[in-house]
Amino acid sequence: MVLKYSTALILFFALLMHSALLAQGDGKKITSIEIKAIPGLQFDKVRFSVAPGAEVMLTVTNSDEDMPHNMLITMPNSREVVVNAAQQLAEKGPEMNFIPNSPSVLWSIPVIYSGESKTIQFKAPEEPGIYPYVCTYPGHGFIMYGYMYVTENGIMPALENDENIPPLRRTENKNLQDSESAAMHHHPKLHPYENVPPYLYRVFIEGSSLASIAVHLPNQLSYAWDAELCQLQFAWQGEFLDNTDLWHGHKNAYAKVLGEIFYREKIELPIRIGSRENIPSPEFLRYKLIDGYPEFHYLLSGVEVHEIIHPNKEGSGLIRTIRISDAKEPVWFLFNADGQVEYAFSKGEIEEGALKLSPDEAKEFTITVTKSEQ
Amino acid sequence: MTKVKHILFVLLMGFGLVSGCKPKPKGAGASYQVATIPVPDGLLAETGGLDFLSDGRLIACFTRGEVMVYDPKTKEWSLFAKGLHEPLGLVVINDSEIVVLQRPELTRITDTDKDGKADVYEKITDDFGISGNYHEFNYGPVRDSEGNFYIALNTASSGGGIRDNVRGELRLNGRDGEDGKRQMYSVVPYRGWVLKIQPDGKVIPFASGFRSPNGLGFDDSGNLFVTDNQSDWVETSTLYHVKKDRFFGHPASLVWQEEWKDADPFSLPISTLDSLRTKASVLFPHGIIANSPTQPLFIKNNEQFKDFEGQFLIGEMNRDRIFRVMLEEVSGEFQGACIPFVDGQGLSVGNNRLAFGPDGSLWVGQIEHGWRGDQGIQKISSTGNPPMDIAKMSLTKNGFELTFTQAVNPEGALAIKNYQLRRYYYAYQKKPFDEPVDKSTQRDLQFVAIKDITISADHMRVELVLEALKPGYVYELKLDSIFNQAGKPLDNQLIAYTLNNLLPS
Repeated sequence: MVLKYSTALILFFALLMHSALLAQGDGKKITSIEIKAIPGLQFDKVRFSVAPGAEVMLTVTNSDEDMPHNMLITMPNSREVVVNAAQQLAEKGPEMNFIPNSPSVLWSIPVIYSGESKTIQFKAPEEPGIYPYVCTYPGHGFIMYGYMYVTENGIMPALENDENIPPLRRTENKNLQDSESAAMHHHPKLHPYENVPPYLYRVFIEGSSLASIAVHLPNQLSYAWDAELCQLQFAWQGEFLDNTDLWHGHKNAYAKVLGEIFYREKIELPIRIGSRENIPSPEFLRYKLIDGYPEFHYLLSGVEVHEIIHPNKEGSGLIRTIRISDAKEPVWFLFNADGQVEYAFSKGEIEEGALKLSPDEAKEFTITVTKSEQ
Repeated sequence: MTKVKHILFVLLMGFGLVSGCKPKPKGAGASYQVATIPVPDGLLAETGGLDFLSDGRLIACFTRGEVMVYDPKTKEWSLFAKGLHEPLGLVVINDSEIVVLQRPELTRITDTDKDGKADVYEKITDDFGISGNYHEFNYGPVRDSEGNFYIALNTASSGGGIRDNVRGELRLNGRDGEDGKRQMYSVVPYRGWVLKIQPDGKVIPFASGFRSPNGLGFDDSGNLFVTDNQSDWVETSTLYHVKKDRFFGHPASLVWQEEWKDADPFSLPISTLDSLRTKASVLFPHGIIANSPTQPLFIKNNEQFKDFEGQFLIGEMNRDRIFRVMLEEVSGEFQGACIPFVDGQGLSVGNNRLAFGPDGSLWVGQIEHGWRGDQGIQKISSTGNPPMDIAKMSLTKNGFELTFTQAVNPEGALAIKNYQLRRYYYAYQKKPFDEPVDKSTQRDLQFVAIKDITISADHMRVELVLEALKPGYVYELKLDSIFNQAGKPLDNQLIAYTLNNLLPS
């Protein structure tokens, strides 16, 4: 075997194929290839090229999270045969690393588990050709494969025209999640229907408990209602939410607020019954949709409260309609004192900085929370 | 859009390969066929739950929070409810009321004005903890004959932390080590438990010791079965017969028993934990039968699956497979065998939820959710060709008896060389810290000689006589060259029996 590659070609490999030629002690040069098994049943490289007869050092790393993989390099056009033969191993599969005894299998890396790496060294075929590599772990061989091009000049067809490559891999689309996230911002088709405000999502969202209901209202307003503490936690202007990470499901994530928060509740349970000092114990019951708006039903120390929230016309605040039909004592509403919003109310009177309503007034009253002008 | 193409491609490739594959007589002679149900544009069909309304329409929930109704007659979809947080199961109560388990609560969803769309979303219970760890999935509900619901709560993943505003009491002794990075953990109430929820919403902690129990199902006698997924403490995936107050092996959940409140269950000797636990009724050999089992669905009075009456069908996430489980009671406990059922044949991977349609067909909803999986809904129905399969594998005094769905040709059925029997066991162990989560080891694997074979007069049954039977082992049998009278081979040739107990002598 004579190495006849020019330095330029070596560089070409190093840059494009992430492979490198290493000088070994005895002066022989080795083409080094590193491939990762990645989530979604893929190898991170769908192809690479080596010279006929080249010494190849192949390292495969399992970068998948919880899926074992192997890798077999096969004779040209033999991928399906080998995948089927691996499937026939049935119960012998695990102990044979799902590698069938077949003349079509040239080299193999046994099953490696998440985080593991294995390296093999072999002499590339003298016969130029397109040699498949494939994971034959059960169910994987149908889609998890790539090709080793054994070629004198290192030239492979343009990726987008390479019929060997799985169609999805013929473009180097970087990050599916990025594109999903972009889709969420620019294309409203997240569901098989058009979501027209008001509508809601139950989500994990920062600044509210892990049982939260985010509601998008007309007039570019939204709010987060805490179904554990039974209170309005915050409100924002602008777009609603980006749920991409949350919906993805395989990591800790929150729904992201796509707007400007203008109000955060600072008081624990601002609705008080009887004494303004006593923080009631909340219990969430249900919500009922009225013209699409959720009306929350909950108990504050055993007294049932209904609350429905509408946007104001200007899109600058929320109108909270609260109904407490069987309060036996006065009802209090405590205001945030930080000036972020202005309050207005339909009934009751201010006593020492808080709104006090008689049981009769509490049967239905509104609190309007408007973004402060300053 | 690219995702849809990708799935189509997978389906086509899968189909091409499987149909070209030698011993499985799928295709023209197949007994079951798989049809893909079209889903509406814009639906990410990651299926969390499936059930049927009394008029034969399918109702399904999906991970982006939709509950949709599909009419098989008109092939039209409509929206019933939306906005749910990761719903992973539903049951129909009546045609205007369903119960859905979502991340924060078990919810009754009702269409009170009968316009086809839900308008009341009522909490049945939220009396269980949430740490915010992504892996705390909630599975179920299933409902018993008295109207109680049963749900199963996944433990938290060592790959993720917890939030600072957890719901419920925090008990950090529910994780091994301070960072929780060693194994799945339970730091909020009843993670790793099956809960019983009475119709009035009261929660009764029912059984503990689960890791990732993504599947609950009842048989027709009211026995509850739950699957669990392989990894730490679960060396291979399992089916448990869940009885009240039993512990099934994963220690994290023990901290929610009063006597373990302040203890460290992870520090107990394995032998102690082993003596506390109830073993799996059936083990699903990893890499052979299933790596990630889902919902068990009991076959009852079903014309399309009548050869397998009284057995369970179970979905598998990692492969294009539905498998079958048959149980028998030995020494007062269930044990039995598992065997592939639908393998390939155009089935997707990610087979998460199962339901029988009014005509007996099997509907399968797929999910991926960041793991190996797929999207969509498929329907499996009988082609009318009778299955040529192992109807049952049962324990005898001296070995195992196989009952076939059709009379077999005695020549092949009596040839010892046509049976390869192996046995091995799976260790009950705390996974070594540096061992990959997906690694599973068959221990003491050895071939078992078959001493003798007898066949019944009607050629429907054979008994394999062995030198000895060793409890605590999986007996895995591979059959070859066994045909019916017309020369049709077996549809499925590998079956694994979990031998917990011997027959009383």
